[in-house]
Amino acid sequence: MNIKTIFTSSFFLRSIFATSLFILLFITGITFKHMIALADSAELLVHSYKVHIELDQLNAVIRDAESGQRGYIITKDSSFLLPYTNGPDKINESFSKLTSLIVANTQQQLHLDSLRNLVVMRFQYLAKTLEKDASKESDKYAVLNGMREGRDIMNLIRIQINKMVKIEITSVNALNKKYKNEISFTPLFTLLILLFSLLVFIFSYIKISKDYEILKRSNDKLLISTESITHAEEIGNFSSWQWDMESNKFIYSDNQYRLLGCEPQSFEAGIEGFLEYVHPMDKHIITEGREQVMNENKYPAAFFRIIRKDGELRYFKSLSKLLTDAQGKKILIGINSDVTEEHLINISLEERNRELEQSNKELASFNHVASHDLQEPLRKIQTFISRISENEISTISKKGMEYFIRIQSAAERMRILIDDLLLFSRTNKAEKIFEKTDLNNLLENAKQELVQVIEDKKAIIQSDVLPILAVISFQIQQLFINLIGNSLKYNKPGIAPFIKIECERINDKERSMFKTDMNRQYYKITFTDNGLGFEQGYAESIFILFNRLHQTNVYPGTGIGLAICKKIVENHAGHIRAEGNPGVGAVFTVFLPA
Amino acid sequence: MKLYFKYDIHAACKKIVEEQLNAMKLEYALIGFGEVELQEDISQDLLHQLNTGLKNYGIEIVENSKRILVQKIKDTIVEMVYLEEKLPTTKISAYLAEKLNHSYGYIANLFSDVTYTSIENFIILQKIERAKQLITTSELNFSEIAWRLNYSSVAHFSTQFKNATGITPTAFQRIINKRRNAAGDE
Amino acid sequence: MQNDQIHILLADDDDDDCSLFKDAFEEIKIKTMVEVVNDGVELMDYLDRKDIILPHVLFLDLNMPRKNGLDCLKEIKGMDHLKNMAVVIYSTSASEEDIEETFVKGANVYIKKPSDFGALKKILKEVITINWQYHTSGLNRDNFLLSF
Repeated sequence: MNIKTIFTSSFFLRSIFATSLFILLFITGITFKHMIALADSAELLVHSYKVHIELDQLNAVIRDAESGQRGYIITKDSSFLLPYTNGPDKINESFSKLTSLIVANTQQQLHLDSLRNLVVMRFQYLAKTLEKDASKESDKYAVLNGMREGRDIMNLIRIQINKMVKIEITSVNALNKKYKNEISFTPLFTLLILLFSLLVFIFSYIKISKDYEILKRSNDKLLISTESITHAEEIGNFSSWQWDMESNKFIYSDNQYRLLGCEPQSFEAGIEGFLEYVHPMDKHIITEGREQVMNENKYPAAFFRIIRKDGELRYFKSLSKLLTDAQGKKILIGINSDVTEEHLINISLEERNRELEQSNKELASFNHVASHDLQEPLRKIQTFISRISENEISTISKKGMEYFIRIQSAAERMRILIDDLLLFSRTNKAEKIFEKTDLNNLLENAKQELVQVIEDKKAIIQSDVLPILAVISFQIQQLFINLIGNSLKYNKPGIAPFIKIECERINDKERSMFKTDMNRQYYKITFTDNGLGFEQGYAESIFILFNRLHQTNVYPGTGIGLAICKKIVENHAGHIRAEGNPGVGAVFTVFLPA
Repeated sequence: MKLYFKYDIHAACKKIVEEQLNAMKLEYALIGFGEVELQEDISQDLLHQLNTGLKNYGIEIVENSKRILVQKIKDTIVEMVYLEEKLPTTKISAYLAEKLNHSYGYIANLFSDVTYTSIENFIILQKIERAKQLITTSELNFSEIAWRLNYSSVAHFSTQFKNATGITPTAFQRIINKRRNAAGDE
Repeated sequence: MQNDQIHILLADDDDDDCSLFKDAFEEIKIKTMVEVVNDGVELMDYLDRKDIILPHVLFLDLNMPRKNGLDCLKEIKGMDHLKNMAVVIYSTSASEEDIEETFVKGANVYIKKPSDFGALKKILKEVITINWQYHTSGLNRDNFLLSF
């Protein structure tokens, strides 16, 4: 699994969510704990200060009692005794407060007990001192002693109180320190976890919003798909059906009914209902097809006719495929197409084919007439004339001989014309074998055919190495013969013909000259000569049947040679073109596919 | 299965003549090709019997002296053409004159008088036949065949082949191959 | 060259061609005996006869009624006793491929009927002469191929 899939798996997402939740609760727990700690700390502080205050108050009360007592002793004003009188009550109050306050601290409790004893003792001494003062028997020293004792106890009380206060303060400080430590760490920890959670939340948000986008888009696509499928059947003129083979239940799409000319779902989906609309002579196709599916597990395409509800005849094509769903249930799904238009086009094409074949047959028999029945009488004419001019030379007049010569020449021209026509009509593609041939051999053969003319005119033919291509050998050989023959025939008088044959691959610019198959390589073979050339304006017309650029008495010819070349090249899905430069020469370019 | 043969006609004919002579219990000594020296003269009947026996194999006793010489000329030419390696590089006229011990002029005239064809034509015919044999029975290509038969180039060889037979060596080879394939299919 | 007669058989349905053919041979300075049949069935019947000397050379036109030349050729090539008979196709012009086909089917010579009498004589003389060479000089008859 790569990183991406890890990040996008829903398991990962869930675990992130769970982790985040846990972290959140954890943080909450810690925060809560610390809040409580803080509260406790505050409370502890308050508590300590309460104790402190209470102790101070106690101290104050005692001192007030003390000063009251002293005041009374000095002034004998009973109003000074008020604090002393009220003292014990307040002190008791204080003690009870203190007791409840320090209930947790046993050490303090001990101290408090000691303090209580001291305070009691102090008040006893106060009382004792008052008594001593009130009684006339006491002397100055007794009161003084009493006061001194009282002062000592007061000191002890003070010390005790201080001790207790100190303890409180110490414990407060200690607790404070402890909590401070914890609390100082907490914000940082909380901050980090908060940042991390924030990160996770942001990541989750991004992921979720992305997923949402994807989901939304998928949803939209699905919506369009569903819509288009529904319409596709109508647009494409086909329908879909399903056949649950076990329960023998059929499901027909709405269009199935429409194709038959009925309202959607207007009859129960099934073979019986469907067969109502099948052409009586084709009903067996449906039933036989069904047999094949059930018994032989074959799902051939079926072609049959339908008579729609409105009586119109349509041609249908049915295709099916077996599906096995996740439970192993066999469901046959299929489509029925209304192929009436294609079928009718096919029929008309077949009709045209038959017509063409017929016309071809007629042309072939014309060929036969031309080859045998036209040639024969012509040959006889020529032969018998040659017999006469040979044997009867003594009995025929000079003028007569001259006429015979003209007859012979005319007959010879006719013979050549018929031969060329025959060659032209034989240059077809039908029933010809394309085989890989070394074009160099064909070129050699062509030069062989023309060896006499080549020697007579002292021609030089220079050629590149030609490729090996799949061709109709005799035709390409004829092509070479015709092209080289022309170059030899139309040479500049008195100048030996020089023919250069070059070969290279086609380039893109040349591809645009004719219809090429972009996936195929083409070879370009050029025949350049130094002959008479021709006006470039005639470059296209020289390939037209019977077109000639010269008078027959000057240059004999039938005007068929180049038309044959063009036909041969077209048979091979190639192209031929000509360029001429009067007085300089001509270039014939042949393109052949590899 | 198909079998291909190469014929050494000289050896075969020699063997046949030997067998025939042995069967007739004639004493002989073989001298050269196409020539046998009998120890004794034999009667016309025996000669006729021998001739009949040999005729079955396409071998004939040549009686006319002129015919004998013409036959010798033919045999010499055949032998020369079918030499294992290569035709002799000396001019054929000189070669024949030397081999047959007559002037070339005499040989040529005699040949055309008796056979109605020129000796050159005969030589060409033999060379072309040899070429056909090499094409059909050996793996040599046309250049090698042309060299063996003393042609100055393949083109020269092809030209003469076509002039003599009307078809190119390539076409000839193709036809023979197709014939063999057709026979193989049967 | 040879004192024996050369036996020639022509199978052609065209009267003009038959007469020209016979005339040509009369003017060639070779001793020949020419027989003519006019269709394929007649040809095969003739070749089956036991009372005739088998022809050395058969000139065969391809376009004949009842049975055409190509069918006859196939039959002839299957017959042992006609092995040494040269078969010359003597017909109106055909395409190069068709000519090659007749050679493949076993013909020795193909002659496109010429339109000049002199040419005809020359061709026929050459055919007979070369054929005689094959007959007398022990050349391999399988390689006897000529095209005019």
